[in-house]
Amino acid sequence: MKILCVLIPHFPLKCEIMRNGDLQNRQIILTRVAGTKKLVMDYTPELTGLQEGMPIQQAISRYREAFLLQADIPYYRSTFSQILDLLEKTSPLVEEAGPGLAFLDADGLQLIYPDDNALATCIQETLPAALAARVGIARGKFPAYLAALRSQPGSYCSLEDRETAFLAELPCDVLPVSLKIKKRLHDFGLHTLGRIGSLPPGPLQSQFGTLGRRIWELARGYDNTPLYPRPTTETIEESTVLPSLITSLDALLLPCEALLSRVFTRLAQRKLGILSLTLWTMSWKTEYWEHRIDFKEPAMHIHKVLTRIKSVLENQPQPGPVERLGFKITRMGYQYGQQKSLFPEVKARDHLQESIKQLNYRSGSPQVFKIKEAEPWSRIPERRYILASLNH
Amino acid sequence: MVQDSGKTLYTGIVKPLNIPVPVNVSEDKTGLPVSVRTSRRRRVVLLEDRWRIDDEWWRNEPVIRFYYAVLLDNGQRIVIFKDLANGRWYQQSC
Repeated sequence: MKILCVLIPHFPLKCEIMRNGDLQNRQIILTRVAGTKKLVMDYTPELTGLQEGMPIQQAISRYREAFLLQADIPYYRSTFSQILDLLEKTSPLVEEAGPGLAFLDADGLQLIYPDDNALATCIQETLPAALAARVGIARGKFPAYLAALRSQPGSYCSLEDRETAFLAELPCDVLPVSLKIKKRLHDFGLHTLGRIGSLPPGPLQSQFGTLGRRIWELARGYDNTPLYPRPTTETIEESTVLPSLITSLDALLLPCEALLSRVFTRLAQRKLGILSLTLWTMSWKTEYWEHRIDFKEPAMHIHKVLTRIKSVLENQPQPGPVERLGFKITRMGYQYGQQKSLFPEVKARDHLQESIKQLNYRSGSPQVFKIKEAEPWSRIPERRYILASLNH
Repeated sequence: MVQDSGKTLYTGIVKPLNIPVPVNVSEDKTGLPVSVRTSRRRRVVLLEDRWRIDDEWWRNEPVIRFYYAVLLDNGQRIVIFKDLANGRWYQQSC
């Protein structure tokens, strides 16, 4: 199995630099929030000694002048998703292995690209040059990853039938095993993959069990881990920037309701309901929060989804005043059955709602609005009420 | 895969209400409004009330306003404010 690995080191940082060129020559530390802690997510490569997941206090103590930036995770995901879309134009089977790391099935591509150089050149030309992607080609994910790691930025490294020789000089620390096992390997004097690979598999198996066999195979450049191409499921994303910072739950539900209305307008045409939805928010300090909501049966009505969202938001307070909000609907399904109401009032209401939906659909944007209280206590008059679309 | 439809980040489905409208106001030496031009210039005959708002000071564009409830010479009562951040005058209903 011929695998091509695309590696973009410091991907979140490169995304930020692509978005804002002024950050190019600055020392930057990207931070993310984990519970009550603030951790390092990425950093400028020159800031040696920093590690991903390190508490921010430690990082600041080493580099006081570094510019701290909150990670914009939805932006990185969206950018990487676009990159994967570009890669899919070269190979239809693309696995997303993490931020800035992707594996492509390169089997059969020799019919289009005569050699590895042509293939790697095509990949490099597909991706933005600012990302300085590294490409590795080998028979298996592990050697392909190491080849990409050792290649020059914007270049490639192909291990055509020389996986074992290439890996021989590498330290055993590159193996995807726990620190404890790496330490034991060093204790046995097996400092390089070449030393491990020169042994018969038996002793390693007796020491490490089934993992020993895997270590031995990886050290010799054999990796039969299958490629897991990303599923080609339909995803609907909706997001909005709020006109003002929102702190209250009721005010937060209004844009949720408005966004869901848009989603349901699209879904209703195909008679689909929501099975899985990820709600995300970005607070004014660009702190990212997300929560996934699953439904046993497809939610066909906006109020069913809103009730769940309300309960989630009640139980999980936001990290700060919300500035941006969005949904990602990853699973949809057809409804199992529907009983229409016999009451004329309900029928009339449904009819009115259907008419409003049709009106919005024809004009392409909300046409009927209702006045809702947002922050009636606010001292700023324009913050007190908002117009929310009335299409449900 | 369907492309991210959230490209128009502000989708227009939630709209703010009662946005301040720029208005032409003449001030006296002390900074108090003496006349307001709405459809035509009107003299301020009475300052009925005034108050100050300082809010959202943590943002890049803090809200610093001095509001005046004024009575014009045609009997109209309006609320105007001076945005102390940019020095401009606006009309707004409160």
